[in-house]
Amino acid sequence: MPNPYRRPHSNTWWLRRLPYTIFMLREWSASFMALYLILLVALVARVNDGESAYQSYVEFTQKPIVIGLHGVLLAFALLHMVTWFQAVPKATRPPRIRGQRPSGRVMIASVYGLWAVASAVVAAIVLVG
Amino acid sequence: MADTVTLEVTRYSPDVDSEPSFELFDVPFHHDWVVLDALNYLKDEVDGSLTYRWSCRMGVCGSCGMMVNGVPILTCAAFLRDYPRGSTIRVEPLQGFPIERDLVIVLDDFLEKLSAVKPWLIREQEQPLEEGEYRQSPEQLADFKQFTMCINCMLCYAACPVYEHDQSFIGPAALAPGQRYILDSRDQGKEQRYPVMWSDDGIWDCTFVGECSTVCPKNVDPAAAIQQAKVESTGAWFQSLLPFGRS
Repeated sequence: MPNPYRRPHSNTWWLRRLPYTIFMLREWSASFMALYLILLVALVARVNDGESAYQSYVEFTQKPIVIGLHGVLLAFALLHMVTWFQAVPKATRPPRIRGQRPSGRVMIASVYGLWAVASAVVAAIVLVG
Repeated sequence: MADTVTLEVTRYSPDVDSEPSFELFDVPFHHDWVVLDALNYLKDEVDGSLTYRWSCRMGVCGSCGMMVNGVPILTCAAFLRDYPRGSTIRVEPLQGFPIERDLVIVLDDFLEKLSAVKPWLIREQEQPLEEGEYRQSPEQLADFKQFTMCINCMLCYAACPVYEHDQSFIGPAALAPGQRYILDSRDQGKEQRYPVMWSDDGIWDCTFVGECSTVCPKNVDPAAAIQQAKVESTGAWFQSLLPFGRS
């Protein structure tokens, strides 16, 4: 009589191997991005409330714990960007150029290029505008 | 004393055991031996009851996939010399599947799912033989060729934590062949595959861990097949919202 054994699924499966752990960190990074967005919206709201509100927000961001939090947010932002940019060749089938689809490296380089251009535009608006 | 290596092998006898256990074996170390050679030595010289699947010994048949030190791999490609000397090499059945006996898993679930995506050419109407073969350009072939390399070894399933957690997930080695036929310019069976592949148990169950592609011994990229199918499915959904879109 067959009696196959089904192994239990552990909730700590993502600690079993490094690629699984990196995957979980990548997924969590979205939550950290959401948290940064909240901080950004709060900044805009403080600016809208006037100079004293803005100054109090600036003082808040200068607290060591808030600086530390931003360090964590930056690390997750970089992880988010690098891991998802690496995934671009898997998720896209760009049109053929002269009969060939661009290689994965070209696609990844392209999104980094787009990121650089977008960052330059934002920097220009903030610093010059 | 001859140079040896220690294997820690899963043992499970469904008639006797309520759960699997591990058994330690010492096997001779040879520079050109793979884990499968060590298992064959054990079966021939030590314990003939040890049960596992294998066939070609050259990475073609896809039968000898097992977890070696927690990583899914074809044991015919897992050289003993590549594991730290002096350490114990743990050999287990592929993760996520029920254990039939020792290192043998139950395949039924995978075979049913593979059939569900209809991994064969579907034509609305076969053209007469005298009209010749269905022609295809090298560019059209390049779009799906890598997905044809799958040998159904199921390492990708064993690497997939989603399948381990949710057995209803159709899984990488069934979705990739499904997408392979969708991308094939000769095929006309998209509409038959979409309801299976685009279902909640299909591509949308995939969380894009990506390890299915990493462990593939044939460099197939099932993760890419699934993500591209998601993009296609999303496009079709947006199209269905348009007044002139498809239903």
